[in-house]
Amino acid sequence: MSSVKRKAPWRLARLSELRRTAGFRMALLFMCLYGVIAVLLFAFLYIQISGYAVARIDEWLPRGRNAMLRGDMAQLRTRVDEHLKIDPENERPYALFDRTGRRLAGTFTGPMPFPVHDGRPYTVEVIGEGRGEGRVAGKPRTLRAGAWLMPDGQVLVVSQDMAEIEAFDALLLKALATAAAIALLMGLAGAVLIGRRAVARLDAITDAIQAIVSGDLSQRLPTGRGGSAGDDLDRLVTVVNGMLNDIERLMHEVKGACDNIAHDLRTPLARLLAGLERAQRRANSAADYQEAVEAAIAETLGLLTIFNAMLRISEVEDGARRAGFTDIDLAAITDDAVEFYAPSADEKRITLAYAHDTAAVPMRGDASLLFEAVGNLIDNAIKFTPEGGRITVALNVRHGAIRLDVHDSGPGIDPLERESVFLRFHRSEGSRHLPGNGLGLSLVAAVAKLHGLQAAVFDSQQGCHIVLRTAAPKPAA
Amino acid sequence: MARVLIIEDDALTAQEIQEALRDDGHQVELAPDGRSGLLRAVGEEFDVIVLDRMMPGGLDGLAVLATLRTAGIATPVLILSALSAVDERVRGLRAGGDDYLSKPFDFIELTARLDALLRRRDGPAAVTGFQLGRLEMDLLTHTVRLAGQPVDLQPREFRLLEYFFRNAGQVLTRTMVFEAVWEYRSDERSNVIDVHISRLRKKIDPDGTAPLIHTLRGSGYVFREA
Repeated sequence: MSSVKRKAPWRLARLSELRRTAGFRMALLFMCLYGVIAVLLFAFLYIQISGYAVARIDEWLPRGRNAMLRGDMAQLRTRVDEHLKIDPENERPYALFDRTGRRLAGTFTGPMPFPVHDGRPYTVEVIGEGRGEGRVAGKPRTLRAGAWLMPDGQVLVVSQDMAEIEAFDALLLKALATAAAIALLMGLAGAVLIGRRAVARLDAITDAIQAIVSGDLSQRLPTGRGGSAGDDLDRLVTVVNGMLNDIERLMHEVKGACDNIAHDLRTPLARLLAGLERAQRRANSAADYQEAVEAAIAETLGLLTIFNAMLRISEVEDGARRAGFTDIDLAAITDDAVEFYAPSADEKRITLAYAHDTAAVPMRGDASLLFEAVGNLIDNAIKFTPEGGRITVALNVRHGAIRLDVHDSGPGIDPLERESVFLRFHRSEGSRHLPGNGLGLSLVAAVAKLHGLQAAVFDSQQGCHIVLRTAAPKPAA
Repeated sequence: MARVLIIEDDALTAQEIQEALRDDGHQVELAPDGRSGLLRAVGEEFDVIVLDRMMPGGLDGLAVLATLRTAGIATPVLILSALSAVDERVRGLRAGGDDYLSKPFDFIELTARLDALLRRRDGPAAVTGFQLGRLEMDLLTHTVRLAGQPVDLQPREFRLLEYFFRNAGQVLTRTMVFEAVWEYRSDERSNVIDVHISRLRKKIDPDGTAPLIHTLRGSGYVFREA
């Protein structure tokens, strides 16, 4: 079909439509969340690290002062001047001011702080003198400084250059920004990738669905690379595929049923029509008409029986009948069914034996349907068992599982046909000459299913052995 | 003779039922929809009502039935329905219906069931035994005698015969027999019922005597003398 090959009109191929996919949106959402967390984390890191460096300086400032004050206080001015010798790069400018604020010694070019807070560190921007490697006179530099009032009224300033910390801060910021940018890009790429993967899978699923809609029921939805045990989409696909299996089986069954209906209904309809036409053409007495009408009524009743049986099966399969379930006793029902068919078995000199090991088999169900199902099994067995044969009905309960066996000494069922005997209108080649409409066992299967039982043909050395038993719970998918 | 009201929207079906019931000697009135049917059922006296379950328009069968019963009208109602699901049947009977027949049906099934409804109106007789011709049934001692000789019956055969006695002279379809004696709701199981009845017959209608169980053409039985 051409529509299968045609590109699906709703195919999600363009990147601009990516943002509509759930995967992409989810990835984007996670990325935003991650971004906020990263920004907070980076800010914390930055504040901690740069604060730590400043704290290290603040810690050092009083130690620098103490080193200066060690020794003769009269020599203080000389020691401040000589400090440059051990700090030729002028990383740590010192200064000694007199009480008027005039600098007596040292390379700290800032003003004397006023008022002097003994030792409280502060940050000050000064115009450099150009002392030290790579420094240009007149270029501003930032210093972290502490000032102390000496006993004689002079003020000692100890400071450290903050260029290194600033450089480190800048580096840190750059590194964090780069990391954030990379994370952002990778996240975006991941989102696009996930989105595209989702789009590709949806495309594949959409194509498969289109093929199914156009009639190719053998198609199944593709699962991801992970196989059946994959993600949530896979689980959905697995469920849908299970449903498709059921639908395909039903379609085949319906088709088979239609073929059989065509045969089983057309034949009596043709006979009915032929009889009426013959009467119209040839009948010339009331008796002739009477005969024709009787034949027509008989054919119509046969047709009605088939229709009723079909309707009943659909009704049972519908499952709505569970609403009418009551507490029943399967043993009593089986008893009644055996008793009901005993005379018919008698007439063919068939021994109908009933064995059960429990007094009562209580369950929820529809008594009439179960009677009919068990009855159909016995009826079927009587039909196929030759004169003088034997039918055994057995009802057992083991560990809460019910099992009902109907075993006859007839010709049995061909192994190839064991699955299909429960299909509607199925009639084995050997039974075409017998009365019946091929609906009996499908009703049995439908009733069994309605009651949580499973109908199966048992492997048997001789005769037909059909079992109804509590269906095994479905394995968890 | 009884007065029967048929509430059925399909004119052809209504007419067929009317003719079948007239043949049985009943006086039949037709109502083509729920509203007029309800009005007639409330305003006039009928012995039994045949009510279609599904009718177009505002009032469907169950609504008509519920209104009737609320109004205190206890006329027996037989519901006709194309819906055969058991819960439909349960709903119909719960709403106050006395019997339920799903379409399509044999007319003998309909007329026999209507007769049963009409008889039920009179209430079951409190009896301890029956007698028809040379056949006697004693419900207290649980014995059956034919011309004074005891007849050995299986429990189910006894119930079957009791059902025939209780409905002597009436047409009984196989379905009615099955539902009353086996107490399961039925589908066609005609030939098996026939086997049971022929076994009973062998015991109570021995060769050379006038039979008591008569087979009617069209899947029915009548229990009567000659």
